[in-house]
Amino acid sequence: MTLEPMTGEAPAVTVRSLTKIFGGGATAYTALAGVDMDVRAREFLMLVGPSGSGKTTLLSILGCVLSATAGSAVVLGRDVTTMRPDELPAFRLQKIGFIFQGHNLIAALKSRDNVALVQELRGVPHAQALKDADEMLAAVGLAGKEHSLPGDLSGGQKQRVAIARALVGAPPIVLADEPTAALDAHSGHAVIELLKALTQERGTTVICVTHDPRIFSFADRIVNIEDGLIRPDDGSHS
Amino acid sequence: MNTELPPARRAMVMMRVGITMMLKDRARFVGTVAGVVFAVVLAAQQLGIMFGLLQKNTMFVDSAAADIWIAPPGTELFQPGQRVPASTIDLARTTPGVHLASPLVVGGGTIKKPDGGNEGITLIGTDTSTWLGGPWNMVAGAREAILQPDTMIFETADREKFGGLNLESIREVSGHLVHVGGFTWGLIPFGPSYAFAEIDAARDMLGAASNRVDYVLVTVDPGVPTEEVVSRLKARMPDLKIISGPDFHTAIVTNLLKNQLGMSFGLSTSFGLIIGLVIVALSMFSSVIDNLREFGTLKAIGCTNRDLTALVLAQSVAYAVVGSLVGLFLVTRMAAGIRSARLVVITPAWLTGLVPIVMLVLCLLAAILALYRVRKLEPGMVFR
Repeated sequence: MTLEPMTGEAPAVTVRSLTKIFGGGATAYTALAGVDMDVRAREFLMLVGPSGSGKTTLLSILGCVLSATAGSAVVLGRDVTTMRPDELPAFRLQKIGFIFQGHNLIAALKSRDNVALVQELRGVPHAQALKDADEMLAAVGLAGKEHSLPGDLSGGQKQRVAIARALVGAPPIVLADEPTAALDAHSGHAVIELLKALTQERGTTVICVTHDPRIFSFADRIVNIEDGLIRPDDGSHS
Repeated sequence: MNTELPPARRAMVMMRVGITMMLKDRARFVGTVAGVVFAVVLAAQQLGIMFGLLQKNTMFVDSAAADIWIAPPGTELFQPGQRVPASTIDLARTTPGVHLASPLVVGGGTIKKPDGGNEGITLIGTDTSTWLGGPWNMVAGAREAILQPDTMIFETADREKFGGLNLESIREVSGHLVHVGGFTWGLIPFGPSYAFAEIDAARDMLGAASNRVDYVLVTVDPGVPTEEVVSRLKARMPDLKIISGPDFHTAIVTNLLKNQLGMSFGLSTSFGLIIGLVIVALSMFSSVIDNLREFGTLKAIGCTNRDLTALVLAQSVAYAVVGSLVGLFLVTRMAAGIRSARLVVITPAWLTGLVPIVMLVLCLLAAILALYRVRKLEPGMVFR
């Protein structure tokens, strides 16, 4: 267990006995076997573990894109495991920024439109959404690339646009799934450095799934997950 | 704090994204629009040709200037067949409300070509005292030419077929030498083209009795309802078919659609629409499959099924609108190109208005498969 005593402020995320079993009967597969975890507000937490350990499953449940089998996952005061399915999209939209392993940008939309779309869906007027997008793109070092299509950008630049999309509008939590996996060492380092800087600046809580040891040093805390359970920190990631 | 975006504005945002995505994939866009265009062209073209053929068979009734037709019993089309008794004319003329009652002779004739061959004509004998059922659409000469002895008016499209006819040419028609006094344009029904002669001359050429009458064309006194006169005529001549001009038109159209044209043109029109539906459906479905990750991403970042429905439907509406416009443009050009004395492709205004609506329904139906896939999509797939 890596639970640490929380001081003062309520945790951004509280997970208790979280279980996820895929399938049923003889083919049932337990991805999470009763996870307990707290994430402090403004914390940059890295969730590490081997493939199939359950880290992406945990991230998916926290991101409200996968239902749990049992247990609770309280995100920003709401237990996402008990929310109605029709409440989840709005919660994701308003509260969570996503960064995916691939950039997952909409290929037909310009950089600024990819970023502005999230803001527009949140109810920000079109012109203001574009302004927010341009500012966010400038913050990730892509000033001048507002009108570029994803296909015209390098891998690192695409991931920067994805970071801009995740951070625009300052959602309280950002969930990142292997954000450096598709990048070379230099780009990966630059991207995670940028993510760390911007989220620290904005007071954003970040949960980042990774098994890229090159970026462990950016974490405030590393949580090791293996066979669907949080393992005590053996100090190997320090 | 952000506010909830009104559903209509949210739908607009998603529609914009949908149209942008659609236009980005140009090859697919062109292919899908081509599918809609194909459906529009095939369906509208087939219907246009059918309307043209129907018009060829109703044009005499439409142009004869008769309010009421008295025809042999069992008449369904305007064509040579049985006759009505000669006394019919007097009975009609003495019926209250009848203004004019004029005999018409219709029969099959032959025209002998200079090289010795024969061609068929539909010989029309017109009562020149009223000109009801007389020649129209004159492109050379005047209808009054048939007042001259042994003079006829022929169809200009058959001039070559009849051995190079010109004004004042002399030909043998059913054993009688006649002069060519004029030409009409486009008076070709399903059978041989109409050729007009004065009614007694026509009877001579047909070897018919001097009182032969095939139809009686009636006009009613001003202000008298046609249906009232029809009833009176029916009461006096219960064994004959008495029908108003518009009703005769409708009866001909109904008969042709039921027995000859409806099935073949209905099938080809339906095939056009079905093929269009399949092309658009497959294209939209494959578009969703190819962009599954993007749709998953949109769901993950907070788009609802309703949002994505707006996105997909915007694309299907755009396909329908663009495809209809291009298709109708092509149909109009093709109709102009095809137009001849033998075949006129008719695309009435209501058909032009109906095509985009049908295409819209078709494209919305085609989107069902794509929508089903999008709605079933789990946003969690983006983390896999």
